[in-house]
Amino acid sequence: MMSGRTIADMTAVEVRDAIERKEVSAREVAEAALARVEELDAHVHAFNQVCPDLALQAAARIDAMVAAGEALPPLAGVPAGIKDNMNLVGTRTTCSSRILQDYESVYTCTAVQRLLDAGALPVGKCNLDEFAFGSSTENSAFGPTRNPWDLERVPGGSSGGSAAAVAARMVAVSLGSDTGGSIRQPGALTGTVAVKPTYGRVSRYGLVAFASSLDQIGPFARTVEDAALVLQAIAGKDPLDATSVDEPVDDYRAALDAGVEGLRVGLVTDMLDIEGCAAEVREAVEGAARTLAALGAEVGEVALPMSRHGLSAYYIIGPAEASSNLARFDGIRYGHRVKDAEDVLDLYMRSRAEGFGPESIRRIMLGTYALSAGYYEAYYGQAQKTRTLIIREFAEAFERFDVLLTPTSPTVAFKLGEKASDPLAMYLSDVYTIPLNLAGLPGISVPVGLCPSTGLPIGAQIAARHFDEAAMFRAAAALERALALDMVPPLVRK
Amino acid sequence: MAKDRLAEVLERYEAVIGLEIHTELTSLRSKMFCGCPVAFGGEPNTRVCPVCLGMPGALPVPNEAAVEATVLAGLALECEIARFSQFHRKNYFYPDMPKNYQISQYDLPFCKNGHLDVEVGEGASAYVTRVGITRIHLEEDTGKMIHVGGAEGRIAGADYSLVDFNRAGTPLIELVTEPDIRTPEEARRFAQTLRTVFLALGISDCSMEEGSMRVDANVSIRPRGATEFGTKAEVKNMNSFKALHDALAYEIVRQADLLDSGGRVVQETRHWDAAAKRTSGLRSKEEAHDYRYFPEPDMVPFEFTDEWIASVKAKLPELPAARRERYAAELGLPKQDARLIADDVALSRFFEQAVSVAGADRAKPVANWVLGELSAHLNATGLAVEECGILPEMLAELVVLIEDGTISGKQGKDVFAEMAQTGERPGAVVERRGMRQVSDTDAIEAVARRVLDAHPDEVASYRGGKSGLIGWFVGQVMREMRGQANPAVVNDVLRALLDQQDR
Amino acid sequence: MAISEHDVRHVALLARLALTNEQVQHLARELSSILDHIGEIQALDLDGVEPTSHPFPVRNVMRRDEVRPGLSRDLALKNAPEARDGAFVIPRIVGAEEGA
Repeated sequence: MMSGRTIADMTAVEVRDAIERKEVSAREVAEAALARVEELDAHVHAFNQVCPDLALQAAARIDAMVAAGEALPPLAGVPAGIKDNMNLVGTRTTCSSRILQDYESVYTCTAVQRLLDAGALPVGKCNLDEFAFGSSTENSAFGPTRNPWDLERVPGGSSGGSAAAVAARMVAVSLGSDTGGSIRQPGALTGTVAVKPTYGRVSRYGLVAFASSLDQIGPFARTVEDAALVLQAIAGKDPLDATSVDEPVDDYRAALDAGVEGLRVGLVTDMLDIEGCAAEVREAVEGAARTLAALGAEVGEVALPMSRHGLSAYYIIGPAEASSNLARFDGIRYGHRVKDAEDVLDLYMRSRAEGFGPESIRRIMLGTYALSAGYYEAYYGQAQKTRTLIIREFAEAFERFDVLLTPTSPTVAFKLGEKASDPLAMYLSDVYTIPLNLAGLPGISVPVGLCPSTGLPIGAQIAARHFDEAAMFRAAAALERALALDMVPPLVRK
Repeated sequence: MAKDRLAEVLERYEAVIGLEIHTELTSLRSKMFCGCPVAFGGEPNTRVCPVCLGMPGALPVPNEAAVEATVLAGLALECEIARFSQFHRKNYFYPDMPKNYQISQYDLPFCKNGHLDVEVGEGASAYVTRVGITRIHLEEDTGKMIHVGGAEGRIAGADYSLVDFNRAGTPLIELVTEPDIRTPEEARRFAQTLRTVFLALGISDCSMEEGSMRVDANVSIRPRGATEFGTKAEVKNMNSFKALHDALAYEIVRQADLLDSGGRVVQETRHWDAAAKRTSGLRSKEEAHDYRYFPEPDMVPFEFTDEWIASVKAKLPELPAARRERYAAELGLPKQDARLIADDVALSRFFEQAVSVAGADRAKPVANWVLGELSAHLNATGLAVEECGILPEMLAELVVLIEDGTISGKQGKDVFAEMAQTGERPGAVVERRGMRQVSDTDAIEAVARRVLDAHPDEVASYRGGKSGLIGWFVGQVMREMRGQANPAVVNDVLRALLDQQDR
Repeated sequence: MAISEHDVRHVALLARLALTNEQVQHLARELSSILDHIGEIQALDLDGVEPTSHPFPVRNVMRRDEVRPGLSRDLALKNAPEARDGAFVIPRIVGAEEGA
């Protein structure tokens, strides 16, 4: 074991190197992660299910490779959390919903399989807002996840469990899914590095769909390098996902040391002016821009006025697709089913009403309404056209800039229950992240400061062109290095 | 129902019929959006995977062969092929539909604005009618349900149902016609003709019984001379071409009776009951359909280039209509024979191979044997022409043996029967059984003279005007020669002798 | 854009959700308020703008017509609330039409 730090504190890169040097075994890493979960998860509730058997089996395979002197895969022995809306054989995939409470995966998600093929140890399935509907992980049928920085606060959402598990050092990395900010926003609120790749960069096969044209799987990590390694492992065309794109995958790690000299960074000023953007968030993001400039980046200003309509477009397109994607949960082939149904219609109506939580019902209703006869053009049609203009606006901005800089979330982590009764206020949490999903662009949230009054983390979002994740990693790595923030949450420090 | 009742109704009313035909692409190896095999029947839920079961997280990837087959069908039916197209989701809940939406096409079908010319009727009253094809699109089939308890596997009255998803996701093309059809017979002929086209394309086995071809009809009537459409009913569940005809005939008369008695037709879906020979309304919940179509976000759109469309067009085989024309024009077959052979891909292939051996000048007798003995043999044995044991070369050999007078037509039937049973070549059968026919005039004349000498009374009667006796004389000569004489030669020789001595 | 309780009930039937009266009342208010907000895009002048359903123009993604292994029947039925004779069991169907 390394001096002063526990195994659980190690980054993915450190874990792999230590195993390769035989300073620690994969089994010890798995046990340390499981012990950390045991110690902290009663407070945090990052996991819906912990799978020690799978983690220890995977660790045994790595230790066998070490013993045999074989070359180790890039994430050998790295403990990982998996958002509980991704299928993994040997686990339940519940989507934090009562309707899938007992659902056992019968196949494995491509991205998860690639993560495991890269040597990662599956520690457990992470809590989320039911079916990824939410920005706080309070909409879980199994209770909320709490923020390791302040247990009275939310970790963000919907991938709150994946974010909290990494922040609390229960795992080194995790997978989340991001439809409107569900990776980046919890990343910002928990002080972790969080990546939403380009739409089509990572296969969605096996990810329980929320909004098919917006969903992407991406990593959480505690360093930009770890995040880059995980994306490297899971990215690439999958024949089982027709929307995954056959573009070459860049060498992300190589981008990390490139520096930002000459990189053209656009600070999106009108987003900073949005009402509801907290002063400390604005200051931290402007500070990040100054840091990048000091490192040699060419920082300029840009406005994205169409993007402010992104929220509306998103809350039409997302629920519309979701209403259709969630139709399959009907209690016939799997999932919750009322016992005493009189007929099929009754079975559908009551199984679904009992199985879905309030936010799922709200979104299904909203989406069904937006697609229904007489309203399609006014809502869905108009939203798809708005989407076109947002894409165009980004394309113009990327003619002048290589990356764009915005806050990730307008505020730091808020208190549990603070926005629970006001869906619109909750929806505003994703105002900065949503436009990237609509345009299919990649974005990373990277910690850029701690709030002076609360001590809570603040994240900045760096967006790049389609499939240019390398540029985004380059900027994020430079910021991480220059700012050298101590992102250990108090819960862990204790 | 009496035929004349329909005829009487159709004198006063004009029927307006449009068809909606679903055809499974049964010739494909795998399903529409996943790699499960396409097949019929089997143990329930043994040809399923996460995709066609609608398991959480599974995604569809379209089968390129299905896309190509749809475009091929469109080209065969003179459709415009879309340059830009995509799948849509059709949202509605039904237990045989795993995702509770069907991946289908909406405003951007692969093919539209085509037509099919249909020959209706026989002989002098035959005519050709052109039926417009509104669109052809590609979608996925549903699973199947078995209704348990209650009456005869019907939904109504069942205690519970079993759902099998083996069929779910089978590639399905939906073809919609314009309301150009005017009689039940035209509807039947359209469906039959379409079937011959799809069989020629090799995209489906088009079995109405197994449900790989399913025809629904929209039918309304209006007084002769009216230009506005009447209220239509949709008729479903016709499991044969005859059922399609009978259901429409019933429905037309039913609607006429309603109008005649001052009632009105209700727009509804009606179910054909083949046993009871009637249609009945399906009681449906008062919920207007709202399918909430939207572009399928799990797949990307299609853009078809001219080059790609041309490459599909190059794969178009000769279609039955063109083949019919060729058989009539180049081989001189009667129209009816040309159609009967041309409409059947396998029979056409057999016929053409036989003709290529026997020679084009013998096409007519080859056609007669194909439609006569061969078809009867296939019907009797239930075998397909490829597997019946008779090769085209064998039939050609038989026809040549008859045409060059080696054996008689009657002997030919015996040889056919023997060849069908044993697979022996006709020439060998003729040799083995010593059937070679005597066409030697001298030998026949010698026998003929003996016969005439032995029957002076009959000769006198013939010469007295009873020319019908010629057949009797032929029979006598044939008997003398144990059937091996060429009857045409016998006939000629006898006439010559009888007429000669008359002089 | 106000959505009435009648609308809510209609949409709930389309979506196959049995809602209580309180849920209907609550959702009518909540959805109206959300629609008020997101309806702002109806004011945008988007004439002549093409709708986007995918973020970038990838086309013609298809698979070869090849058979791949599927699920064993045991796995297919593993999560079934009720199964019999290798099939999924459903209660009787009332007042619904046959599928496509």
